[in-house]
Amino acid sequence: MKGRWIGSPGLATVFVVTLGLGGCGWASLPSGATSQAELMHRDWTVFTIAGLCVFAIVGGLIVGSPFVWRRRGEALPPQFRRNVPIEIITTVIPLIMIALLFVLTYRVESVVERLSPSPSTIVDVVGFRWSWRFQYSGTSVQVIGTPKQPPEMVIPLGRTTRINLESADVNHAFWVPGFLFKRDAIPGVHNSFDWHPDHLGVFVGRCAEFCGLEHAFMTFAVRVVPPDEFERWLRQHETRPTAYRQGPR
Amino acid sequence: MSGVSTRDLPVPALARTGLLSWIATTDHKRIGIMYMVTAFAFFFVAGIMAMLIRAQLAQPNQSIVTSHTYSQLFTLHGTAMIFFFVVPFAFGLANFLVPLQIGAPDMAFPRLNAFTYWIFLLGALTVMSGAATNGGAAASGWFAYVPLSGIKISSGLGQDFWILGILMASISSILTSINLITTVFIYRAPGMTMWRIPIFTWEMVATALLVLMAFPALTADLGMLLIDRRFGGHFFDPAAGGSAVLYQHLFWFFGHPEVYIMILPYFGVVTEIVSTFSRKPVFGYVGMVLAAFAIAGLSMGVWAHHMFTTGAVSDPFFSAVSFLIAVPTGIKFFNWIGTMWRGSISLTTPMLFAVGFLLNFLNGGITGVMVASPPIDFHAEDSYFLVSHFHYVIGGGSLFAIFAALFFWFPKIFGVKLNEYWGKVCFAFEFIGFNLTFFPMYFLGVMGMPRRVYTYPNLPGWGSLNALATLGAAIMAVGVIIFVVNVIVSAIRRAPVPDDPWGGFTLEWATTSPPPAHNFDRLPPIRSERPVFDLRQSDLGSQRKR
Ligand SMILES: [Cu+2]
Repeated sequence: MKGRWIGSPGLATVFVVTLGLGGCGWASLPSGATSQAELMHRDWTVFTIAGLCVFAIVGGLIVGSPFVWRRRGEALPPQFRRNVPIEIITTVIPLIMIALLFVLTYRVESVVERLSPSPSTIVDVVGFRWSWRFQYSGTSVQVIGTPKQPPEMVIPLGRTTRINLESADVNHAFWVPGFLFKRDAIPGVHNSFDWHPDHLGVFVGRCAEFCGLEHAFMTFAVRVVPPDEFERWLRQHETRPTAYRQGPR
Repeated sequence: MSGVSTRDLPVPALARTGLLSWIATTDHKRIGIMYMVTAFAFFFVAGIMAMLIRAQLAQPNQSIVTSHTYSQLFTLHGTAMIFFFVVPFAFGLANFLVPLQIGAPDMAFPRLNAFTYWIFLLGALTVMSGAATNGGAAASGWFAYVPLSGIKISSGLGQDFWILGILMASISSILTSINLITTVFIYRAPGMTMWRIPIFTWEMVATALLVLMAFPALTADLGMLLIDRRFGGHFFDPAAGGSAVLYQHLFWFFGHPEVYIMILPYFGVVTEIVSTFSRKPVFGYVGMVLAAFAIAGLSMGVWAHHMFTTGAVSDPFFSAVSFLIAVPTGIKFFNWIGTMWRGSISLTTPMLFAVGFLLNFLNGGITGVMVASPPIDFHAEDSYFLVSHFHYVIGGGSLFAIFAALFFWFPKIFGVKLNEYWGKVCFAFEFIGFNLTFFPMYFLGVMGMPRRVYTYPNLPGWGSLNALATLGAAIMAVGVIIFVVNVIVSAIRRAPVPDDPWGGFTLEWATTSPPPAHNFDRLPPIRSERPVFDLRQSDLGSQRKR
């Protein structure tokens, strides 16, 4: 029959390639530079492994069946309609799987969402079209960006930084891919969360909620520095705050 | 019901042929064809938009289109694919098939049926004509979040046209659903008990119920948005005591069931096709039906999983209910495999597309469970990971099932069979092109690329992954062109096709291709969910006796 090559071999190829690349997809995930992100990274790992197993088994059955049971003649195959034990098993196994995944989800989320009673630094973040303003609470240090000159947030390593998030106009989302975390900035909603960075470095941040023309350029940076350097940075810019005001606002 | 009416309805002579006969028609088959043809036209429009989007993103820092044009493109692409293609195509197919599958002469309310088509067309044209207004078409995305879609920021008429057009389309969907449910409950042929209804019809009943529950929330939401924009309302204005989050709640109260409105009909399509080409009854028929209703019911309680990152909802509850949907979906998967198990399977074009659906939908379903976990969603939400996930569900899923349905029922609808070889070539282009387009997007998402950016910096890997996605999209476009040529050539050749070319099971295969205006000259006895299979077997039996 013409076009045979497109059938089972073609399906099997895409199936195997997808399965292999699924693992690579996991490998391109940032490792997570806060203690919260390390937990969430574990969540990603468990879900990816579970997902690849399900894809291998169910996908294998889907791709394999048309090949193994391909039509070989006129004789009708057995016309069975049900198999109650199998149907019960295939209902219970997914139920157990999602129950386990939910327990993991719940435990990780409650840690990620937990707010420390005594954060060492508090930054009030306001998203506006199209950049961000960072105000260090209890100080006069303020960093304001523009789409052309994205603002940089400096935070101390190994200590808890509280972010209070708001929006001045439309919905934005404050996303640091290196921290595997984002939260929406919505007018009228006050959001708070904690970061406990445990890696030094500069991490790029992006607005993830479409907010208009310059959405693509609503970026920022988070620089994690040792605590003493952070104190020095804060003192320096408290005396010369204007130097760090960027852009029109 | 006291038997099936097969008499010809009196039709004025003028309205029997030509263009007017189509405009004036209340025949469910013609309305079904009009729905499907219109939906496919919007598929081309939205597809061309997708190609422009992929051209703009093919390389970093490009400016083939402006940011404003790009915003209109992704807004109209999403709107057209969802509201004017995937949903109306399902309703078109249901219009054509449901009365045939239950042995009825027409839908319950034929004139209402015609009205729903015309108001859908009017709505779709209204949204699109926004592009001709000053300031262009709507550009705030297919879910039009406030305050972005509010009058202060989106001050143009394009956004109002969008709202009015979607309101018309949603009224069309609600009325069609009432029509479908009434038809299935009241107009079944003698012997067609509820547990003998074909799975496609069952899935349409679940879909229609879901439409009745979900679409009113959208109608209310967009009505409030219109009042806020043009009549001084403050429903969504936090400065005046309103709530921007309320808009999201109402939108996703519709929007998540909408996902299942876009997929349940195609579960039905795939079930019929897998069963026919395995030459076996549907495995776990009752489980299949109950799973559809379980999915429909659960999908009403998961809307806020689109809002995990708002910080304004109870994440664990919505996460748990979202996970639960994996159970009935899993039942469906095992039943599809059970239907193929020990079967006698022919990989015809419709079957290939159905198997492609299963594999792509499995992929999208697995990443769907991932993003239902808030700690994963905090990274994946609004990134290309999510873009890839929902395209695997709706593009790799629904779109593949639409192709499967077209190849499968084309002979029934038009009396013409599409070329099988070129159908398979079309499948190869679509399947490879689709996976090449969307699999790299999972990578881009975890690497940190947000959705709806019209350009991106030249970071390691971003350029090549995006180039791959654009290449895949081009391959898909070639596949669509092959399909169109196949339709044209097959229509010109008009090779003779029997009434039942595939060895079908359900009642639509018992009548001629295409069916007469009154659908059936006579119905076979209905003693199971496969009356045409039963008929064929008893014919074979009597031949053997002779
Ligand atoms: Cu933004």
